[in-house]
Amino acid sequence: MERMGSLMSGRIFSSTIPVVLGILGALIANFPVSFLGNLVPPPLLSFMPLYFWAIVRPDLMTPFWAFMLGLLEDFLSGGPPGVWAASYLAAYAFVDNQRDMLAGLSGVGALVGFGVAALTACASAYVIVDIYHWRLQPLAPSMAELAITVIEYTAAVFVLGAIHRRVVGPLRSEF
Amino acid sequence: MANGGWKIARSRSGAQLPLALLAALAIALILIGKAQSNLFDRARANVTDWAAPAIQVVQTPLSGIDRWIGSIGEVFQVYRENLKLKEENARLRQWQNAAVVLDTRVKRYQLLLHAVPDPSLSSVMARVIGRANRPFLQTMILDAGKAQGVKPGQGVIDARGMIGRIFLAGDHTSWVILLTDLNSRIPVVIEPGNIQAIMAGDNSAAPQIDLLSQNVVLRPGMQVVSSGDGGLLPPGLAIGSVIADPAGGSRVVLLADPSSSEDVNIVDFKQKAELPPSVSPSDLPATAAGLPPAPPPPPLPVPGATPGPTPATAPALTQAAPAVAKPSAAKPDIVPPAAADSGNE
Repeated sequence: MERMGSLMSGRIFSSTIPVVLGILGALIANFPVSFLGNLVPPPLLSFMPLYFWAIVRPDLMTPFWAFMLGLLEDFLSGGPPGVWAASYLAAYAFVDNQRDMLAGLSGVGALVGFGVAALTACASAYVIVDIYHWRLQPLAPSMAELAITVIEYTAAVFVLGAIHRRVVGPLRSEF
Repeated sequence: MANGGWKIARSRSGAQLPLALLAALAIALILIGKAQSNLFDRARANVTDWAAPAIQVVQTPLSGIDRWIGSIGEVFQVYRENLKLKEENARLRQWQNAAVVLDTRVKRYQLLLHAVPDPSLSSVMARVIGRANRPFLQTMILDAGKAQGVKPGQGVIDARGMIGRIFLAGDHTSWVILLTDLNSRIPVVIEPGNIQAIMAGDNSAAPQIDLLSQNVVLRPGMQVVSSGDGGLLPPGLAIGSVIADPAGGSRVVLLADPSSSEDVNIVDFKQKAELPPSVSPSDLPATAAGLPPAPPPPPLPVPGATPGPTPATAPALTQAAPAVAKPSAAKPDIVPPAAADSGNE
């Protein structure tokens, strides 16, 4: 019985890790202090766990959590509410439709897959903000954000992979 | 880096309906946020107040690293920079002398003309504890808030010029919207020529100039200062100078550099309410026409009271009379300087 209880609590703990990492990413990325003196915009750190587990464990990274992570990004970044929530959902819809293809990618292909998903999120945010302010925004900051997000994903994917292998992975899904 | 090594849980069928619902919710949020722009603001201010000590702790060592990284490029051009600064310093000293002479002259003219004094201008000094440079938002967080008298709308300046204005004030922290931010639009005056314009940020380093008059030609180098229209910002805050936009129109190169500002002033622009001129006995139409002033009306008889006004009520009634009889067009208190001088002689 005790063993069953600890198994259950371990299961709950493991299942929260993707979302907790997403929240942590949003907090770190939006912390108003920059290591590089604001030369480059912060990466979308919360999008990395979202993408990773939306592919490998969509039962742990549901559309609801994509929406909530986007909302947290909106809240912490100081922008209008709903912009990143809608953008993350657009990227999630892309990942959801192309999951088999994205999951089969490896090496540079996997990086390109992430890049396309991140592009979907950034482009959605760009279009929404353009409509919101009814004015074309400069494209360069959005492109810089996309580039820095993709570059940092090359390192982050190893960390996310290790966490998945050691903590989340052993917890098998019923699907 | 491979994604293919993991066992994929398949739950796609269940995701479509929540996705559509959540997307509708997100769009609704955007629309509500557009209509009610301060939807998140109170919560954001509370979070910033709460996180301010942590931000300050992290910011202190990082700002040192930041300065060090920023100065790497400058090391290689110190000699040339030094010569340039010396030359600039000599030129500025000449300008300083000219400014002091002109300032004294302006004060003397103001005294002669009985000019209305400038509104009082106090400021709160604050430290920059955070900066956010997001693609669609450029802000700065200061360590002063409502407790220090900071209010939304107040201008923020550093030693060189205006940086932005407060758009959100928490109890001990406040958020600054930079002049370069997309949401920033402030009325400005371009000198020489007293040209009225709106300076609008577009998330680029140099904000755009939207002229209010089409018949005006701007030249590079013209000075841009705040106009004071709207009553929130004081007039005459230095902002920058005009440059030509390669894509057409004009832009403003800012004097201040928000990325390196550490201590700033939050300007509290107290525009005094304009009071009507006080009424004097000579303002009464009868007195103005050369007749003696009307006697105060007799006090109303109070049953059971002794006849005649009591010492306490009499002055009150006497003072009330002119106020009731105040003419619609009162004489202005301001006297032309020539008339005032002849009167004194």
